[in-house]
Amino acid sequence: MLSFLLPQRVKLLGLLIAAGVVAAVAALGWQVAELGAQRYAIGGWGAPLGIDLYADGLSLLMLMVNAVVCLGVSVYSTGYFNRAYFRRSRAIYFWPLWMFLWAALNALFLSSDIFNLYVTLELLGLSAVALVALAGGADALTSAMRYLLINLLGSLFYLLGVALLYHRFGSLDITILSQHIEPSPAVWVAMGLMTSGLLLKTALFPMHFWLPAAHASAPAPVSALLSALVVKASFYIFLRLWLEIFPVDSSVFGELLGVLGAIAIFWGGVQALRQTRLKMLIAYSTVAQLGYLFLAFPMASYFAWKGALFILLSHALAKTAMFMAAGNILHFGGHDRIQDFDHVVQYQPLTSAAFALAGISIMGLPPSGGFIGKWLLLEAAINSGQWWLVIIIIMGGLLAAAYIFKVIGYAFTQSRKSHQTRRVPIRMEWTALILAIAAILLGLIAPWPLAIMDIGLPFSGEAAG
Amino acid sequence: MEAMTSLPLMTLMQLLFDTLLGFALLWLGWRALASPDLFQAIVLFIAFGLLMAIVWVRLDAPDVALAEAAIGAGLTGALLLTTLARLEAKNRSKSALEKKHKVWLMTENVKLKTASFLWLMVILMLLVSGLVYAVLTLQEQTFELQMLVSKNLESSGVSNPVTAVLLNFRGYDTLLEMSVLLLALLGVWSFGGIPKPHESLPGPVLNMLSRLLIPLLIIVAGYFLWVGSDAPGGAFQGGSVLGAAGVLLLLVGWRLCIRFVGLPLRIILVFGLGVFVSAAVVLIFLGRQFMEYPPSVAGALILLIEAAATLSIGITLAALFLVGRPEFRRHK
Repeated sequence: MLSFLLPQRVKLLGLLIAAGVVAAVAALGWQVAELGAQRYAIGGWGAPLGIDLYADGLSLLMLMVNAVVCLGVSVYSTGYFNRAYFRRSRAIYFWPLWMFLWAALNALFLSSDIFNLYVTLELLGLSAVALVALAGGADALTSAMRYLLINLLGSLFYLLGVALLYHRFGSLDITILSQHIEPSPAVWVAMGLMTSGLLLKTALFPMHFWLPAAHASAPAPVSALLSALVVKASFYIFLRLWLEIFPVDSSVFGELLGVLGAIAIFWGGVQALRQTRLKMLIAYSTVAQLGYLFLAFPMASYFAWKGALFILLSHALAKTAMFMAAGNILHFGGHDRIQDFDHVVQYQPLTSAAFALAGISIMGLPPSGGFIGKWLLLEAAINSGQWWLVIIIIMGGLLAAAYIFKVIGYAFTQSRKSHQTRRVPIRMEWTALILAIAAILLGLIAPWPLAIMDIGLPFSGEAAG
Repeated sequence: MEAMTSLPLMTLMQLLFDTLLGFALLWLGWRALASPDLFQAIVLFIAFGLLMAIVWVRLDAPDVALAEAAIGAGLTGALLLTTLARLEAKNRSKSALEKKHKVWLMTENVKLKTASFLWLMVILMLLVSGLVYAVLTLQEQTFELQMLVSKNLESSGVSNPVTAVLLNFRGYDTLLEMSVLLLALLGVWSFGGIPKPHESLPGPVLNMLSRLLIPLLIIVAGYFLWVGSDAPGGAFQGGSVLGAAGVLLLLVGWRLCIRFVGLPLRIILVFGLGVFVSAAVVLIFLGRQFMEYPPSVAGALILLIEAAATLSIGITLAALFLVGRPEFRRHK
């Protein structure tokens, strides 16, 4: 909001706020780690009347990865929106929109009220759409429009579900709902509505059609955010609802989600291989990676949830790094056609290293964060004897390896055409690299985030189920 | 309830009215969607919004009715009509690109009709039947929450339960909603300049009407704001009426003085949200929780926040109507 008032000093303000939020998250992290899950009643009214904020391990982790990614993006954007050809009149809007997006994400991860979640979703969706459109041009506008309609549809479904639940149980608080919930037709319909709305926003396989276009046509830091965090936000809500509110006795539904996730892994992987433009490739890779998150549902065991969450975290970091690297390459050569990469490695060693390291995490090679996540998922699958999942996880890794090596291969070779090249601000390269390294490091410090997940764990009680 | 037993004719009339209203709503909705002429569709949409407002009244929700009439029918209609005017102005200067886009849209439409129509119908039918089933089997709601609201109404500072919920009990939601509105304006502005259509001078009727209406609208907005604490009304309703006054002003050709377009306008736009947030944050320093209004001054605080919100909402809505960001001339 402040950055809207003072467009002149917008960058400095943006960075200051970014640092402030990171500090706040760190403080909250300490609090949660020391004292366990926190609950904060806004306005002092308490749950049934007012709105509660709630922070446990799950939301803390989301907030932390959010803070890291957003700080990275903030730094990156100071370089990205500085370019000569990016019109200043547009660039000044980036910061306020971006701050709204971040605020919406933070509010979303903290909320424990299903209507409040709807409002944050709306805030998130609108700012994301505006950011996609910021790229300008017919492509970006068309995909932004489509993204807007999808977002509205998803929110509408979710809101209908909220209304049904509210009418039935007279409360909007997740904790209270979870105590009162009992299977009835209204609950089933509400569940179906909310699920389909949220899955549409999370872009699970048959509903992924909007994602590649929207993510690929946005400015690079925005695509990084969309892939890393925005789709995860609706997944987070879905996970919360699934674990805490909805009747758990729905194994058929879980199987269905798992199958969709599996198809998403294949389809996303194959489509990514077929793309000729780098950003599209990365966007399809997101579709595939989102599939992994849903593999946990048929297993629904302790390890599976942790594995899925771990993939979520490492994917957030790695995908941000990847999109940033893509943005650097795009800026450097003026295009992102994979075949025409001309000695990118030579000219941009840092960017290439960032892409490769992020790729390692996406493929799931040790010692990256992606590896830990996949390993946990594999263990859960073997434990529960669901061998088809094992095969899918391994195949998905191979597909990811194929499309990432395709890019890296072209980055080393010389292309037939030569291009006009431009200098890329060094901090844009460094942020990409640091985030990629963070994705790898996540694997080395795995016990720590895993321990955080245990704080006020929503799924510990259902370890058996 | 008593009237129901003593006056069967009255209930019959009401039933008839409701049925008619329901069918009219459905019919208008369908016509608005099916109409090939965009202008006609928009007019039907406005009528739909007005009927919807009556439905809200019938459902005993006058607050929502006011908001629906002002925003749903009035301002959205005005926005749609300006969009249409701009589209037509653009179409008149036809470029090849536009044509291509149109053709593309049409082919898309045809494809949609032949291939996906059946699927869409099936999905919709499933959805509707599921909803109907769910609503029919819905058990009677427990009224605990309403009791809780009325019990705490004393300490909320206002006597209108809707305002109490919006500004006090669930003020956090309203805070976020206001940022949604600001965000919408920001999003529109970020699209950058849009060529202005040819502006015609207003006719004498519009001129006269606006002179009469604008002061009236401003007074009505103030009334809504004031009355919101104990009767239907409040910041959103007041703000949208104020917005309507702004739209009328813009229609007559009145423009903001260049001096005020930059920083002052932006300050007014964020004023509502700013007051809201700072009131909430200051309370933390006074040893209370975020947004916990002390009962003794809650009424005054809510009025202050609402006044700021009304102003900002009104200006934001009027600014939305202008579509592009107001011209910003550099000082030499």
